[in-house]
Amino acid sequence: MPMKPLPASSSRVPVKFRIPTADNLVPIRLDIEIDGQRYRDAFTWNPSDPDSEVVVFAKRTVKDLKLPPAFVTQIAQSIQSQLADFRSYEGQDMFAGEKIVPIKLDMRVNQTLVRDQFLWDLNNFESDPEEFARTFCRDMDIQDPEVGPAIAFAIREQLYEIAIHNVTSARESRVSKKGRRGFEYVPASKAGGISLDLVKYFGHKTSVVRKRKDWDAFEPIVDILSSEEVDALEAREGKTTR
Amino acid sequence: MATAAAARPDPRGEDLDELDLYTIPIHSSWFSWDDIHDTERDALREFFDGSSISRTPKIYKDYRDFIINRYREDSSRRLAFTEVRKALVGDVSLLRKVFLFLEKWGLINFAAPPSGGAGGDGEGDGDGGAARRSRVVVEDGAPVGVRVVAVPNSGRPVILPAPAVGKYDGRKGSSAGQFRLPSLASYSDVFAGLMKQKGLVCGSCGGTCESGCYEYTKGEFNICVNCYNNGSCGENKSLGDFEFREGKGSSANHAAIWTEAETQLLLESISKHGNDWDLVAQNVKTKTKLDCILKLIELPFGEFMLGYSNGNGRDRNVDGNANNTSQVQSATSELPDETKTEKQSNVQTEEMEQNQIRDVLDEGPPLKKARVASLSDGGSSLMKQVSLMSALFGPNIASAAAESAVSAICNETFCPREIFYGSKGHISNGSSVPTTNHLGRDVENGDAEMKDEVPPADAQGPLPTKSHMPLQVRAATATALGVAAARAKSLADQEDREIEHKVASIIETQMKKVHDKIKYFEHLEHMMEKEYAEMDDLKGLVVSERINILQKALSAGITRWRDQSSLKPQAGS
Repeated sequence: MPMKPLPASSSRVPVKFRIPTADNLVPIRLDIEIDGQRYRDAFTWNPSDPDSEVVVFAKRTVKDLKLPPAFVTQIAQSIQSQLADFRSYEGQDMFAGEKIVPIKLDMRVNQTLVRDQFLWDLNNFESDPEEFARTFCRDMDIQDPEVGPAIAFAIREQLYEIAIHNVTSARESRVSKKGRRGFEYVPASKAGGISLDLVKYFGHKTSVVRKRKDWDAFEPIVDILSSEEVDALEAREGKTTR
Repeated sequence: MATAAAARPDPRGEDLDELDLYTIPIHSSWFSWDDIHDTERDALREFFDGSSISRTPKIYKDYRDFIINRYREDSSRRLAFTEVRKALVGDVSLLRKVFLFLEKWGLINFAAPPSGGAGGDGEGDGDGGAARRSRVVVEDGAPVGVRVVAVPNSGRPVILPAPAVGKYDGRKGSSAGQFRLPSLASYSDVFAGLMKQKGLVCGSCGGTCESGCYEYTKGEFNICVNCYNNGSCGENKSLGDFEFREGKGSSANHAAIWTEAETQLLLESISKHGNDWDLVAQNVKTKTKLDCILKLIELPFGEFMLGYSNGNGRDRNVDGNANNTSQVQSATSELPDETKTEKQSNVQTEEMEQNQIRDVLDEGPPLKKARVASLSDGGSSLMKQVSLMSALFGPNIASAAAESAVSAICNETFCPREIFYGSKGHISNGSSVPTTNHLGRDVENGDAEMKDEVPPADAQGPLPTKSHMPLQVRAATATALGVAAARAKSLADQEDREIEHKVASIIETQMKKVHDKIKYFEHLEHMMEKEYAEMDDLKGLVVSERINILQKALSAGITRWRDQSSLKPQAGS
């Protein structure tokens, strides 16, 4: 592999599976429909909380939202299963070495349309999607209070996905490269096609300042839709989901 | 808080200090473009522990420099993280950390308004935000957004079309492509063209060059006379590369410096135009008439100039009866007759000379008037001019001129030196003006000895005297100069006395005037007092009269309301 030997560091040691952010919070998405009533929600859950909390939470939610009591078990089950999913990966090696991935946002929250792209370092366990989203909303002057959490959630979800993907790919590469020692630089293509070619971006010859023509691609776009547009969009989404 | 000059070191090595002034808090004074401070190392440890290829000190520095430069493009606007991150490759969380670090230390967003409800005017409206972004000069490589254009008068910034407007032209996206204002351009860069029109600015000390300046021949760079004289002409430049340029006020500057070429030109034009100083000055161009005359006096009289004064000055001296030159000239030409008869020629002629000088000194004031009048003519002989100069500029210059004249004659030929200094021994006659006396003595000695050897031309006809004639004339010239010096001194004294007298009389008159005024005022006061007394009397009279009338009215038994109406006109009258 054409790679300069990196100084010995913690990044060589494969990281155990977790959400690669400061808080190890699991993104939970709920979409439950009972008797024509649909409940959709997205939030994060701390996996280290006792599972008894799940039921308490479900009851509380149903009560607050005045949903039929049938929802309680559904909600609790959904959360439980998602947590179980998460826990099934815990303890496994996630990946080794550098991993910076692009995160893409393309979402609509109520009337706000957000499109953005940026890089996320999976090794940075100080990262805070919630804080990032807050800054984003402040900088972009977004008034809707639901947008921030939605952005943070979207980031977490993607990170979660990538983490899962990495666990599996790490397992595979461990199998295929058994016996090889030291840090292996896995090119972006092999590592699942999402992580960046770090040498290309952070090598000595290149600048960390993006070329001007790339700026547009990494520039956040925020659109405020009119209520008619929202209606039209929802109608179309409803069609495609059904 | 303090103001610290943080100018970005220019990659081309030009000195950019003081070009840009940004305010940063004093606690951030550790900041330096060239270095990474321990504060930064501590706060952003991940860049310095070598843990990742994506987190190196170099990358940190790139991030930092870019963000700060970005902010400084317009320090009055609040820089938003979201605006920065799209231009930088890297983990957004890490970028955010750097951003917050810089913000916390006031290196960015210090002068910007605090982020309020309407935070980030650039991001709210996508159009304006995008346009502003396009203004930034960032290409490949390190944040080269910094393109400050060097020294104020390097000429480059002048090319910018209407820079003040251009700064905001960037909003119209498309124009940003062709025109880019250097991100750290300062006032002096942008407005250098305007400043230049106001006056030449010294590139060394920054002052304006009023009396003239030295122009750098290898580029557009000026320094003022002071800096030139001090030798401070900026690095990489030698004094030899500077050429004098006359400023507006240099006509008044007698100490104007003459270049070799100008002196040459002066001498040439004098030989061509003679005493017509207007023409000479025209020819020299860079100097005024007065400057030319002064310069000529200061110049050691070389062979060239003497040849001129021989040829030209002599025949004019004949009719210039009012000036001392001709007098001395005639005196020396008279001498031969007397020396023929007298054996003790040295002593005799010297006395003659002294008398002559004294005569000349006695009639100082009228002569001075005549000369002042002739200044405007400008067409009189060189000698006239010289003596005029001596009258105007004091004895020092004239005596120096006389000395150099003699020494020049001495240098010219060996023979005169013998004549001048050979017989110096026997004279010991003191005088009120030592310098001139000495000169006159020398010259006169020369004359006398010459007469001893060779009979004068007018008496004996054109024999071998021809070779000595120029010498005689030269001696006369030198003597004239000496006399001129003496006169200058006396004239100056006279002038002083006159001025004193005039001032005294003026003061006296003023005093008289004041006295008269005081007198007048006293008189006025007296009159006023008298009038006041009269008025007082009148007042008393009126009051008593009124009382009288009232009493009469009361005794007559007039009713009150009638009383009032009837009294009113009376009181009013």
